[in-house]
Amino acid sequence: MDDSTNRILQRLIRRIPSQMFQTMLGKWAHLSREDLHSLDFTQPKWVLTEHLLAHCEEKGLTVKHITELEMIYIIENPNQGMWHGFQLLDAEEDAPSIELTQFKEQFKANLTELIRHVSIKIKKHTDEAIWIRVAWGDNFTKPNHLKPTYVVHHLQTPYVFVTGLTSKHKPLLNQALVLATRYGSMKDAHLSGRNLTAIRDLLMRQYQQVFPTKHPKPLQEKNPVPRNPNIEKEQAENTENRLQMACEAFGDGTLPQLQKAVYKLETKFRDNSNKTLTGREEPFRGVVEFASTNLLESLRHCVSSGMASTPVTPLLSSITQKGRNYFVITDKGV
Amino acid sequence: MLVLIYYPTFVLSPGVLGHLNMLEMEASNLKQQDLRQSSCEEELNATLQALLRKRDQLQVEIKANTSLQKMRSLLDRTGVPCERNEDVDDQEDGSDNSQLLLMMAKHTQLKDLLHAHHLIGGYDVLQTRKGKGVCVSLATAYEGVYLETYNLEIDLGSNLRICRHNIPPFIPLERLVTQGNMQTDIRDFLDTLSQYLNAYAGRKQQLHLTKEIHSSVQVAESNALCTILVLMFTVPGEKAGATLCTLQYADHTQCLPTRVNIQSEDTALASSPQWKKNQALLLETPLHTALVTMKKTGSIA
Repeated sequence: MDDSTNRILQRLIRRIPSQMFQTMLGKWAHLSREDLHSLDFTQPKWVLTEHLLAHCEEKGLTVKHITELEMIYIIENPNQGMWHGFQLLDAEEDAPSIELTQFKEQFKANLTELIRHVSIKIKKHTDEAIWIRVAWGDNFTKPNHLKPTYVVHHLQTPYVFVTGLTSKHKPLLNQALVLATRYGSMKDAHLSGRNLTAIRDLLMRQYQQVFPTKHPKPLQEKNPVPRNPNIEKEQAENTENRLQMACEAFGDGTLPQLQKAVYKLETKFRDNSNKTLTGREEPFRGVVEFASTNLLESLRHCVSSGMASTPVTPLLSSITQKGRNYFVITDKGV
Repeated sequence: MLVLIYYPTFVLSPGVLGHLNMLEMEASNLKQQDLRQSSCEEELNATLQALLRKRDQLQVEIKANTSLQKMRSLLDRTGVPCERNEDVDDQEDGSDNSQLLLMMAKHTQLKDLLHAHHLIGGYDVLQTRKGKGVCVSLATAYEGVYLETYNLEIDLGSNLRICRHNIPPFIPLERLVTQGNMQTDIRDFLDTLSQYLNAYAGRKQQLHLTKEIHSSVQVAESNALCTILVLMFTVPGEKAGATLCTLQYADHTQCLPTRVNIQSEDTALASSPQWKKNQALLLETPLHTALVTMKKTGSIA
């Protein structure tokens, strides 16, 4: 194994946290059971690294096998790095009937045509998601495995999720994906976050949405828990209305974990008390950013507790309804 | 002789003054009684008026309801309200009233139709935002079991527009909206959408039941829309090899496959009469029941 392979393996082992190390290695096909048992996981990581390096040398494992381990780790822990959502547009006639092998072949063929030195690994996960790992090289250098791009796509849906993509390689990946999925073009869905499951749930609407129903209140139990008769809720109806509107705008139960919502303003300045800025022709450029560990949860709480006025302003409810967290607001609208 | 007459509050004083006092008291008592009587009378009058008004109102309502029912039965029977020539007193109300009655009859007819539709497990329509929008709930069911409910919130403007929905992205909603007839015939649009959703729910349920009941059958490949399914069977016998069965559901509005392909290591297997029968069986019966039959005949383990 040459130097670069060693470095890749070392980097990968450093990246995997110690507590997950054993499970990850267990899933890796190139480590037999006896070898796994022979490794003592109570030793510090650098000792384990040495053992593993020696083991890989013995078995003659190459970069290809090591990247498998990396892929296993990323698939198990997708919520790191920055993921961006893309949407495929203009489906052609046979887009809904694409199947896995067809997609795999097409994608590999297209990408290798566009750029000669590229390393592609495609894996189908149990939840029908296709994971693609691409290491980019160019016409003269071998693929760089230290900065791979990961792509997640669910067949028959128009959404693609990407992490680790540089602007140089973006058009190449776009073209390969568009041709392989039989769509016309791909555009930015303006949705990004650290949590892949969150942005996937938001775009594919897999969180619990609330719609108006004929019987909004859940059925009363025959023997309800006795409430303290000395406590009476004033404005109970208002509270319920606000909660209903908050849930309709953002969803019920556990919400997808978004970290940021960014509104880029390109509207004219309108406050009459400030003479220097009002009346200018160019728009007043500003950026409003909402940040939180779980943004949708905070917004829902703002609405249901009365801090934000109801009905929920479309600026906020567009986050869930349009599935975006980057908006450009002009005078004509969002 | 002393005559003692007891009045509750006054001390009896003899003579004319006393007598005058007594008469004064009696007069004031009488006045009070009169006042009370007249106030009672007023109250009773007011109650009478209220009751009369209520009776008139109820009479008008009864009249409106009977004409509505007549109109509704005409509508139900013929689909078209024909000229009314029976009630003489309705003619003086003019054509506006009859138009209103017609609208009301149609409204009740539509409500009953929606209620019936909801009872048979079709879609349910609810008005939202004070009449500016509707929310349509489409229920899905397979083999008598209710599955997921999907919702569409539609904006009632000059053009109908779907503002919110929870339909999964692999159902071609956009295509149905742009290429379909949502603006002109919403019932047709909803029926088609319901077909797609019910078929998807049916296929998903078949796969779920297969996984639950038939643990010996392995699912090698499936996709989110449940239109491609690759199953691995174990065939009992000496030539026990892996047999792959590929089911393709090209028609997304159906629960049954359009193509069944059987591949095996034992090349003669696929063309044997037993397996030809199995192939036909898989094309005609739902997956989980077909597998039960195949197990009974001993084709698969």
